[in-house]
Amino acid sequence: MENGSYTTLTRQSGLMREMQSVANNIANASTTGFRREGIVFSEHVTNLGDVPSLSMAQAGGHHIDTRQGGFEKTGGPLDLAIEGDGYFMIETPDGERLTRAGHFMSNGEGDLVTPEGFHVLDAGGAPVFIPPSAASISIAADGTMSADGAPISQLGLFTADPNGLQRVGSTMFEATTGVEPLIGGTVLQGFLEGSNVDPVTEIARMIEVQRSYELGQKFLEKEDERLRSVQKLVGR
Amino acid sequence: MRALKIAATGMTAQQMRVEVISNNLANMNTTGYNARRAEFADLHYQQQSRPGTISSSSGSVLPAGVQLGLGVRPTAVSVNLAQGALSISGGDLDIAIEGQGYLEVTLPSGLSGYTRDGALKRSADGLIVTSDGHPVAPEITVPNDARSISINADGEVYAYFNDRVEAELLGQFTLAGFANPKGLEAMGSNLFLETSASGPATVGTPGEEGLGIVRQGYLEDSSVDAVKEVTDLIEAQRGYELNAKVITAADQMLSATTQIR
Repeated sequence: MENGSYTTLTRQSGLMREMQSVANNIANASTTGFRREGIVFSEHVTNLGDVPSLSMAQAGGHHIDTRQGGFEKTGGPLDLAIEGDGYFMIETPDGERLTRAGHFMSNGEGDLVTPEGFHVLDAGGAPVFIPPSAASISIAADGTMSADGAPISQLGLFTADPNGLQRVGSTMFEATTGVEPLIGGTVLQGFLEGSNVDPVTEIARMIEVQRSYELGQKFLEKEDERLRSVQKLVGR
Repeated sequence: MRALKIAATGMTAQQMRVEVISNNLANMNTTGYNARRAEFADLHYQQQSRPGTISSSSGSVLPAGVQLGLGVRPTAVSVNLAQGALSISGGDLDIAIEGQGYLEVTLPSGLSGYTRDGALKRSADGLIVTSDGHPVAPEITVPNDARSISINADGEVYAYFNDRVEAELLGQFTLAGFANPKGLEAMGSNLFLETSASGPATVGTPGEEGLGIVRQGYLEDSSVDAVKEVTDLIEAQRGYELNAKVITAADQMLSATTQIR
């Protein structure tokens, strides 16, 4: 096959990946605290010596869209949303993880946990404990938790370099480049942050991917026809 | 092609959301019912190239890797423990719990069930039971010749008789509190069972240790907000359609693939 076809093939496999990322975004359009993902394509240059160099497309990286998702009022005292930057810190068996999904509850022992049962950590990195006998829990904008008016804990809010965030599923991120405490974060009690996926953009992107893919396919078809006609001509 | 499977997980999730919403709407008038909410989380990610991978012999590092998500999964259907509105029913054995806590009932199996449905009745032998006939613990028996009964905020049940001036204390309702009421297992008929996630029941007097108080003559309405449920329903339906659209597009891409000669 000619180089033209190879170049198109790299584009086609890249588009398949992008389609997968669009599908994942749309599938997670109702996932609490989900951050939209995108793929960045880069030019992959091959040096061919005496002929002009050839560029191939390569999925070079992903980016995490850190825009704010919409807030949904749930009224639950342990449903928390972060306004602006920041993440909650979760302790999992694999290490500490960051999340924006603030759908927390207390477990049978009174620890504040995620729906998967992982502990939520306070500003000092210790699990948050809620006294089972507390009639009301209130959480201030800076993350200070109080039970029946007496302060009990301060929820930890952290920030990390978006490029160093690695997705690990369950709306959690692993910070590969370390975390820093967030100064001046805002926590909203009784709200959950929805997914920041915008269906309109995603569908537009999906159509674009689909049509680009068909274009590539058309190109491959034409290239095939061209080679056939060359064969016919030479073989005669 | 994974886009098809990813969109399928999305459709399953939205379908589950519709099921939860329809159950909420069906229980709009169920005494003591609390609305449920389906919670989702993203599935695992395929790490095609990890951030921080050394990408050349000169030691340059990939600032961001390639990670492809595999869809969505349900994590929890959690109960929104909002207090339902109290509506006047006038019945002397209708009680509503204002605040936290559950009435404890003894199930035929001997286990304890917990409920917020305070539409209580009297059995043939005077025992206070739920609508399904399960006796409320601790057991309180109302004598046949009682003229009327009154229940105060602390759950004390007094009976008045035609031949006496003084009211007689028959017993006192207790309430059960849990460290994590969302962890209770719903078993239908407005009953819940204790689980290891809810923690053990701490039985106490109404009005103490964070427990609510008892209101006679009222029933707690369902906390389902119809407007919210219907808007959620529309959202779920559109979400379902969006995922179906992805399947169509992925299918067309595949069909274009099969046309390469």
